[in-house]
Amino acid sequence: MHYHYNEAFENPDYHFSETLEIDRRGSSQRNQFSHQTPYDSSLHGSYGEHRGREQNYPVAIPMSSLGPGSDYSQNLPSTSPYGNFTDNISFESEPELIHTRHSTLHLLDYPYTHGISSGSEDSFIRRRNRRPPDEIFMASSSTLETDPACSKEEDLVGSLASMSTNERMKAMQKMPETMGKKREIRNKVLKEITKRSRHRGAQLSCCRQCLQGAAVSFRRFGNALSEYFHQLRVWHKTLKIIGAEFGTSVLSYFVFLKWLLNFNIFSFLINFGFITIPQFLAAEPNNLSFMGLELLTGAGYFQQTVLYYGFYTNATISKTENGPSYNMQLAYIFTVGIYFVICFLILLFSMAKFFSRNFTNSELFSVNIQVASKLLCIWDFNITNEKAVKLKQKNLHTQIKEGLTEVNTEVLSFSVKERVLRLAIHLLAWVASLGTAVAACTGVYFLSINNLELFMKGHRSDLESQTATLVLPVIVSLLNTLIPFFFSWLGHLEKFQTPGQHIYVTIARNIILKMSIVGILCYYWLNIVATSQSQCWETLVGQDIYRLVLVDFIFCLLGSFFGEFLRRIIGTTVCMNLGLPEFDIGRSVLDLIYSQTLTWIGILFSPLLPGIQMIAFFIVFFVKKVSLRRNCQPPRKVWRTAQMTTSFIFLLLCPSLLGVLSVIGVTVWRLKPSKECGPFRGLSSMYAAVTEWIQILESYTASKWVVWIYHNLITNQLFFFILSTFVLIVTYIYWQIIRGRKTMTKLLLKQINNAGKDKQFLRRKLQAEQRAKRSSSARGGRGQQRSSSSYHPSRQPAQEVPGYPGRAFDTNQNTSYNEHPFSAEILSSSDFLPGWEPGAARAVALALRAREAALAEDSGGFQP
Amino acid sequence: MGNKQTIFTDEQLDAYQDCTFFTRKEILRLHGRYYEMAPNVVPMDYTKDPDVKLPMQLIINMPELKENPFKERIVESFSEDGEGSLSFNDFVDMFSVLSEMAPRELKAIYAFKIYDFNTDNFICKADLEKTLNKLTREELTAEEITLVCEKVIEEADMDGDGKLGFADFENMISKAPDFLRYSLTNQVYQQKPL
Repeated sequence: MHYHYNEAFENPDYHFSETLEIDRRGSSQRNQFSHQTPYDSSLHGSYGEHRGREQNYPVAIPMSSLGPGSDYSQNLPSTSPYGNFTDNISFESEPELIHTRHSTLHLLDYPYTHGISSGSEDSFIRRRNRRPPDEIFMASSSTLETDPACSKEEDLVGSLASMSTNERMKAMQKMPETMGKKREIRNKVLKEITKRSRHRGAQLSCCRQCLQGAAVSFRRFGNALSEYFHQLRVWHKTLKIIGAEFGTSVLSYFVFLKWLLNFNIFSFLINFGFITIPQFLAAEPNNLSFMGLELLTGAGYFQQTVLYYGFYTNATISKTENGPSYNMQLAYIFTVGIYFVICFLILLFSMAKFFSRNFTNSELFSVNIQVASKLLCIWDFNITNEKAVKLKQKNLHTQIKEGLTEVNTEVLSFSVKERVLRLAIHLLAWVASLGTAVAACTGVYFLSINNLELFMKGHRSDLESQTATLVLPVIVSLLNTLIPFFFSWLGHLEKFQTPGQHIYVTIARNIILKMSIVGILCYYWLNIVATSQSQCWETLVGQDIYRLVLVDFIFCLLGSFFGEFLRRIIGTTVCMNLGLPEFDIGRSVLDLIYSQTLTWIGILFSPLLPGIQMIAFFIVFFVKKVSLRRNCQPPRKVWRTAQMTTSFIFLLLCPSLLGVLSVIGVTVWRLKPSKECGPFRGLSSMYAAVTEWIQILESYTASKWVVWIYHNLITNQLFFFILSTFVLIVTYIYWQIIRGRKTMTKLLLKQINNAGKDKQFLRRKLQAEQRAKRSSSARGGRGQQRSSSSYHPSRQPAQEVPGYPGRAFDTNQNTSYNEHPFSAEILSSSDFLPGWEPGAARAVALALRAREAALAEDSGGFQP
Repeated sequence: MGNKQTIFTDEQLDAYQDCTFFTRKEILRLHGRYYEMAPNVVPMDYTKDPDVKLPMQLIINMPELKENPFKERIVESFSEDGEGSLSFNDFVDMFSVLSEMAPRELKAIYAFKIYDFNTDNFICKADLEKTLNKLTREELTAEEITLVCEKVIEEADMDGDGKLGFADFENMISKAPDFLRYSLTNQVYQQKPL
């Protein structure tokens, strides 16, 4: 999309002041209607006046609500073609103006055409005003500006009419225009369309009308349908409210949570549909008694349910004797396998999407801290809560101050001794944190071995041994909850230079801790439990994971209670200076990633685990929401939300899913399934089910292609070699393209810079010119001006109105922006016609010369 | 929903639907909100496109805008007369751009307008100062403000004219991915259905 702002910069001739002037006037178009509606004046009487007083907006008022008296006339004494109207207030009540938009089109030609200018100059200007054909939409905004643009609008209407309905709607929606204008264009487009269709077939009109009517009603029906789907979007309102009160960063946690929840719902549905339902058909009766504690431990009664691997049959299930059968082994392995492939692809693609959206752009420029983007891009328009707004303002204040100190001090220079000291502290902190992680892992390892012995010994379902199995998950969750506090304390000790470093280092340590604990548990499951003498080691692992997930969930709830609820009570009653707790996004997200990792590992051993996780996440969502709104205040730090979300998804992909995939891989290819339970009993490995199936298939001619695919693609190293080579080549090509674009960007930036230099140079020249001319010929110019404007008496009412706000801007410019004398000067000067024509010619020449000079300066840069 | 037909004709609803990011129901809801603000000025029947405008004072008191430090500017940017009174068309327009469906480019245009306090099509130093004051509740000293504004212009101004044109602005927000999330997204709450 291009708009006139944009075009101004793309257009190398921008720095000609007429162009400037055109742009200005274009933007002021909106204002031209300010005094037209008769109704408006009545409103002014009732609201307008007191509003004017209440407004705390010193600048906004003068430009629009000041009458054409005071400033206006004194600043443009000589200049405007409408000079003789400056004190004419009567146009306010000119109602017909609404209908005379087209007459305003002539306005801009006015300075050029009114008699003096040479033909060549004029056409030159016109040529410059011509836009490239692809910028259709820009034309829409410039329709009122110039005469050629009048046909532009027709062009726009034409191009819109030739689009498909959907495209047209999108294009219309995107137009930066007022509603009235858009509707006008829309009506024209519709008229155009009917005209065209009439052209095509006048005879078929009846049939066509019917069709059109049907199309319209079909579209309305579709709209109604999409509205109902709209309402189905769950938690939309909740998310809105959270965003409004706590800003986007906290919102991103909930969006992430919702996303994971969807993931789990999906995998639960898949597993339930393809594994569990067939199993129900072949279910054996469960003769274990249910005691209640099983809900926590997952053992006992549940051992003989569809919850665990061990319960599934290895038979092929069929309803009738010779009917179609369902091979449980294949169903199990393919469901899990395909689920992981889908997971991997979804993560990879969303990762790529986020990455391209958030990192590629910032990568180029992220050298310095961006005060600019901080200032103009930081306001979170989501927030509508009063307290949140105040807090946000306060935080911004401190941040900007911090930013200022950073700017002022630039880089803190440390002496050698200090630097060594800092390095030592960092090293020490890392050693301490890694040490804790290692210690935690060792503890977990020995505890788990102990746990296993307990299992092996007491397989009776006595209460004591069951409770004892809960020790491991509780310890693990405790470690997971408490050690992060130690880490953040360490982080405070270290005194990082930037808060960003602090956040990332803390997150890295937490990730290391969590992943190493999960890793050691995996080692224990795959290397020790799997080789133990137990009856059904897969079920044991599944139970372990079930307990871990459940206890983790309980700890999450407790964390909300203690960390947020009690903390608020303490913060508001006992220790007032503690204040309200903040919602710790980083830690909460890491907890989510941790539990999702557990669920993924568990899918193979306990296919219904996603269902349990789904319920857990569901509850967590509501508990966190309530706790957040009751207890917390918006976070003080600025989270670079977009980048944070990207890194969270990256974490979910990289250590988490990839780790899980390797664990699953080891289990499927290397480990021997237990002999007496589960769908894979009796096989040498789970994967053997697939090879056996292929062998069976080989005997059928109809399914030869499956065998061929299996032999030539899946088990063939050469194929993977070719595939990875291909991927590498594509990556390399893209990498090269990106490098080329980067160079291009650099060159273009340089060019813009040079264009700016041109402009300034030109301004200086023009200014000098101006001064020289003004003293000599100001009087005469004014006289000429007046007389010339009266050549077109019929147009005048329409002309001066649009002119007026434009002038008002200039006024503003002159009065309040003295720091940019150039621009102000140029604005008023463009109206200053007698001096203008020769000035323009010379200016063109000067600009060309200046550009040549600039080109010569960096000749290596952008020779075409 | 029995009164659906009396507020707008199907034709009008289609037009609104084509020109905004809203569905029919949302447009009716917006009309409800608009009507609520001044029941005795705004007619229920909009089939004849009555020329009614509500003053800024009423609109900036809507809960969606009330706390926004830029509320006056937002409303002004969307008002056709530039003074802040909004006709229903402007009103729908405003929420259409503010809705999360609106594309980033469109939002960027209006964000630029909002930050351009003196509507000279440039964000100049004075605009930045005003923005800064709004963002921090005028708690910075004059010196700090000048320093920050200088820094901003120095960073974002590509062509060296000492102020930020739309191209500069666009370029800058392209570096700030958060703009997409933060920017001007403020949907109308679901109020009681009509």
